Amino acid sequence: NVSQGCQGGCATCSDYNGCLSCKPRLFFVLERIGMKQIGVCLSSCPSGYYGTRYPDINKCAKCKADCDTCFTRNFCTKCKSGFYLYSGKCLEKCPGGLEANNHTMECTSIVH
Amino acid sequence: RLDANLISVVPEKSFEGLLSLRHLWLDDNALTEIPVQALNHLPALQAMTLALNQIWHIPDYAFQNLSSLVVLHLHNNRIQSLGANSFDGLHSLETLDLNYNELLEFPGAIRTLGRLLELGFHNNNIKAIPENAFVGNPLLQTIHFYDNPIQFVGQSAFQYLPKLHTLSLNGATDIREFPDLKGTTSLEVLTLTRAGIHLLPRGMCQQLPSLRVLELSHNQIEDLPSFHRCQRLEELGLQHNRIHEIRADTFVQLVALRSIDLSWNYIQFIHPEAFVTLHSLTKLDLTDNQLITLPLDGLGGLTHLKLQGNAALSQPFAKDSFPKMRVLEVPYAYQCCAYGSCSNFFKKSNQWGAEDLSPEEEDPHKRTMELFPGHADNHYDLDADDIQLDLEESKLHPTIQCTPNPGPFKPCDHLFE
Repeated sequence: NVSQGCQGGCATCSDYNGCLSCKPRLFFVLERIGMKQIGVCLSSCPSGYYGTRYPDINKCAKCKADCDTCFTRNFCTKCKSGFYLYSGKCLEKCPGGLEANNHTMECTSIVH
Repeated sequence: RLDANLISVVPEKSFEGLLSLRHLWLDDNALTEIPVQALNHLPALQAMTLALNQIWHIPDYAFQNLSSLVVLHLHNNRIQSLGANSFDGLHSLETLDLNYNELLEFPGAIRTLGRLLELGFHNNNIKAIPENAFVGNPLLQTIHFYDNPIQFVGQSAFQYLPKLHTLSLNGATDIREFPDLKGTTSLEVLTLTRAGIHLLPRGMCQQLPSLRVLELSHNQIEDLPSFHRCQRLEELGLQHNRIHEIRADTFVQLVALRSIDLSWNYIQFIHPEAFVTLHSLTKLDLTDNQLITLPLDGLGGLTHLKLQGNAALSQPFAKDSFPKMRVLEVPYAYQCCAYGSCSNFFKKSNQWGAEDLSPEEEDPHKRTMELFPGHADNHYDLDADDIQLDLEESKLHPTIQCTPNPGPFKPCDHLFE
């Protein structure tokens, strides 16, 4: 049964499933608790996920396995430890002509 | 992040001095134009979204100083037209999303995007893809352009795309000839349905050595070449064409071929050796053809066989002809009798791939385990399509579904006494 009187940014919700849809501009996220999944509405996506806005829904989706935060699935903005970031990609080794900066964990141009 | 506001104008100096800015969110606002001047001062910008605005046109040189930009999202705007030089200057661009706009013509301005990997312009109003459409984008891996009223596709439109894996064209009725895919050697999935193709070139498989799925349904193909050079072919869809014969060499040496759909054709003759080398074949659909006999050599591995609608095909089938059969559809009920008595051993089958299981036969624990296969470690399981229930492959219950069911008016015994 769908109830209208919801909290937490839901537009519609149900006792069992949590949010079914979100108020405008919020991101719909499926949060799992044990075997159950409930819908929650957030103003931005949790860490490890990126948001995509669409006319009817704003969704969060996972970044790649080697990426901590990302702009889209194919464009990382911060890699997991052990990887260097270069142009949106997470690399174990920096490509030729670039050097690994272990402070920022990025591949940067070699300064002569 | 400036997304989800009511911004309709971005003044020229808005981003002045932000020489290190890398990621910019301006989606879900009220922009009607590209803020060209404001974007002129962002040399380090790598990713930007202007999606969900009301932009209607992209002028020439709109992004000319964004030489580091890798990702540009413009989906869900009202873009009807582009300048011929709209994307000049985007030397690093790899992803361009123009989906859900109102483009009337193919975005020719992409020709300057030499590093483009991913292009989307689905859900627009584009009617033609011109010759040499992607000549400037040799690194393209994916192109999404479904849900456009595409009628015409240039013969050379998809040539020289050595990284392209998937090409889907549906309903382009003006396509008369199979496209020339010279140099597009990594293609794995080719879907070209509801067009007007009547001939497949002899050398098509030489151009497509990596092809796994070939879907050519709803065309006007009469004669098949030999597919033997499509060595990795796994699925072949030729339903709703005008094929009348299968020769000995049509499918020869296709050792990876698992599924062939030849339904709704005019096939009268299949050469006795047509299936002999198809060691992986499990599904064969010959519904609604004009078969008189079916050669059985090479069909021992079948799990799904559909023959309904072949009125002249009256041969009875021995049970050991198909030791692995699970779903069998035959022209006449008596052809099901070989598969055991006429009692409730038979089950009504109404789906090609899935098997009907009555509730008490389902194992609740098994069903539950399948719903959450591998995401026990984190509590956000957000991507619903990660949860894949493949009923077809589960080996829950090996009964054979054979239709039409023999019954009181379609007896087994009476016929054989």
